[in-house]
Amino acid sequence: MSSEEHLKETDTEARFEFKKEQSAAFKTDKGLTEETIRLISEDKDEPEWMLERRLRALKLWQEMPMPEDWPGQPDLSEVDIDEIVPYIRPDVDVRAGVDDWEELPEEIKDTFDKLGIPEAEKNALSGVGAQYESEIVYQNMKDQWEDKGVIFMNLDQAVQEHPDIVREHFMTSCVPPSDNKFAALHGAIWSGGSFVYVPEDTTVEMPVQAYFRMNSEGMGQFEHTLIIAEPNSEVHYIEGCSAPKYSAFNLHSGGVEVFVKEGAHVQYSTVQNWSRNTYNLNTKRAICEKDATMEWVSGSMGSKATMLYPCTVLKGPGATDTHITIAFAGEGQDIDTGAKVYHNAPNTHSTIESKSVAKDGGRTNYRGLVHIANGAENSSTAVECDALMFDNESTSDTMPYMEIQENKVDVAHEATVGKIGDEDVFYLQNRGLDDDDAKQMIVAGFIEPITEELPIEYAVELNRLIELEMEGSLG
Amino acid sequence: MSTQVHANLTEAQVTEISESLGEPEWLLETRLEALAALDDLDMPKVIRTPGRDWSNLTKLDFETLVDPLDWEQEKERESADGVDVLAWDEAVTEYEDLIREKMGSVIDTQRDYLTALSTALFSAGTLVVVPEGVAAEDVKIRTEMNSQSLFNYTLVVAEDSAELTILERQSTGKDIDGDRYYSGVVEVATGENAHVQYGTLQNLSDDTYNYQVKRGNAGTYSQVNWIEGNIGSRFTKSEVETRLIGDSSESKIVGAFFGYEDQHIDIASRVWHEGEHTTADLVTRGVLDDTARSVYEGVQDVGRDAWDTSSYQRENTLMLSDESEADASPKLIINNHDTEASHSATVGQVDAEELLYMTSRGLNERLAKDMLVEGFFVPVLQEVEVDELREDLDALIKARLR
Repeated sequence: MSSEEHLKETDTEARFEFKKEQSAAFKTDKGLTEETIRLISEDKDEPEWMLERRLRALKLWQEMPMPEDWPGQPDLSEVDIDEIVPYIRPDVDVRAGVDDWEELPEEIKDTFDKLGIPEAEKNALSGVGAQYESEIVYQNMKDQWEDKGVIFMNLDQAVQEHPDIVREHFMTSCVPPSDNKFAALHGAIWSGGSFVYVPEDTTVEMPVQAYFRMNSEGMGQFEHTLIIAEPNSEVHYIEGCSAPKYSAFNLHSGGVEVFVKEGAHVQYSTVQNWSRNTYNLNTKRAICEKDATMEWVSGSMGSKATMLYPCTVLKGPGATDTHITIAFAGEGQDIDTGAKVYHNAPNTHSTIESKSVAKDGGRTNYRGLVHIANGAENSSTAVECDALMFDNESTSDTMPYMEIQENKVDVAHEATVGKIGDEDVFYLQNRGLDDDDAKQMIVAGFIEPITEELPIEYAVELNRLIELEMEGSLG
Repeated sequence: MSTQVHANLTEAQVTEISESLGEPEWLLETRLEALAALDDLDMPKVIRTPGRDWSNLTKLDFETLVDPLDWEQEKERESADGVDVLAWDEAVTEYEDLIREKMGSVIDTQRDYLTALSTALFSAGTLVVVPEGVAAEDVKIRTEMNSQSLFNYTLVVAEDSAELTILERQSTGKDIDGDRYYSGVVEVATGENAHVQYGTLQNLSDDTYNYQVKRGNAGTYSQVNWIEGNIGSRFTKSEVETRLIGDSSESKIVGAFFGYEDQHIDIASRVWHEGEHTTADLVTRGVLDDTARSVYEGVQDVGRDAWDTSSYQRENTLMLSDESEADASPKLIINNHDTEASHSATVGQVDAEELLYMTSRGLNERLAKDMLVEGFFVPVLQEVEVDELREDLDALIKARLR
């Protein structure tokens, strides 16, 4: 069976919605105190400098105000960190994650089987990391990449094994904890996540993937991803996320830092399908050196509220950024997402393409910032936002910000909002499709520029998720 | 956020202004309430992105800029057939009831700190009334500010099926030592099927801080259109807004600015679609030279009940200098799916190919560039219905180029 068929035949809803009994080897109390931080750090047997960074971030978290003055921002009043369990170490033997699915406890293995991860690994990926609650439980990369010096391991392990590289890059110049309140929170209680290191002149041909799963009610997941692509290297990193739905809220506040060295190329793809009780508040940033290329591909399907604006700093001349983002907000969802690009050098280019769909009272917002610094001559940026609305209960906002300090530039922003076309639906119905199928097809066509950027497994996955979103809710 | 202005502002001063204009008791009360509210009011909102405020209003030093009792202006009011264009002291005598009904009905007299300050202190006021069915062309108001500060208030009432084009010119006369402050509030209230085009040409001196808010309520089948030309001032914060309340109402907001030296021009065009079948078109073009800086915000807000909305917005900025800065934020807030809405914004320099085309036909580069800048404003100038405004604006643009 090809993996496409496999995915089609799986009940996607069941694949994400199942819950496992909660069991843990170590679990902190709710809330966040210095003591909690010390406990986490001690449980991870971390070096002193990491503990110090955590404590410094904690202090910033305590000092910084909640973001409240953003026009039209999602309601975060429910997010009370004292109600969150910040750290749960699942009950597995190998701390750094096993490299064979069979070695995992049955319930965890079963979780990832249902999510289709081992299957995808066989067919389409160079390496896989799987995080369950706060820790990576499975990590493996095909030998051919290991032989070339590519490193793909969980970040906790990298703190132990590659302390110099991590110490230099971890929340220093890219995403300092002072960046925003949730970056500070993340810096204090981060756990798990991936460390990817690609040596010079190395192309990792198949994507590496990390999958993040929250299983326990009321927990927070704070994984950190650090990617370093040395000159002229190339890698595609895919991140998948999901959680079963509980009544209490969950919090996901990840941190992603990508260093794209001279001439390197990194693609970072995310398909986020957090449950509808999850607050998804992330900070993702890439720094591009000379002639480097960064590509962000983000599909935001799940969560109760998302605030995510992947950022690229085009630091070296000739650097390029591409953002492709899709947001789908259904009932009760507020997906506030977009992009940030800083053009800090000449001849830098960025393209931002955003597609959003709002239905059943959901809200989408494109919030984006393009900054072109004085001296970044011959730079260009093109931003295109298209939004589709299904009904009169939904909301679709577009809020771009442009700061242009250089005149030898080409800056263009375009946005459109409209309803799903009656004529298009009518056309398809004429050809024998029912209303639901016609609308699904129109949405699939609408987001195609995005799905075509993803490996086929993920494109199929995304389409399945959208079908799921649309099923039965159309009149 | 309140400033020191209170130190030299008293109820007695406000009362004196009101009495000198022969205002009724209720109007004095409105002014005094606005004065009292200053303590609790914030400055007008400015756009904030990580690490920066696009305009800094807190640096305005009202203490030295505002002297409420020293106001001097030269005003010309050129009326047209069938229209009443009245200075404030006449207006409060002849149209007290109308003023009481309409004043503050479009713009909250305490909308923010600067608006409330204007409400409390305005001494230069004008009322324009177009009766039902009257089609009036080319009403002209010219204000020349001769004092250090001037607070201007204009109320336009266009009754059912009335038509009006109005041109307001703002300039500075006498030289005064030090910085100046100009404040202007314009309210436009329309009945059914009324058509108002309100054009402003702001050419204040380059030591003038300028705050203006203009807003119109469009009734059923009515049109409220704005032309907003900003050439002068050191610092401008201008907000131009239309509420499309009535079904099938329309609004067009056309803006042109040309900033040079160290001018800071912060302009906003905002429209709220509230009724059904409403249409809005927001068009702004601006040029920046030297170290000038522009801030543009465009808002198209489509309400939950605004079925069958069409809403468009375009903003284009041309940068002639490396040292200038153009910030722009065109926003769409869409709450009804039965909407066709789009916006676009561009920033760039004079097109190299166009320049080459013209220089290869024998024009020197300077002239070619000037012509391209003039050409850049043409789509905006074409929207101006009052010839005199179009010619004046064009002349000011040309003057700035040479």
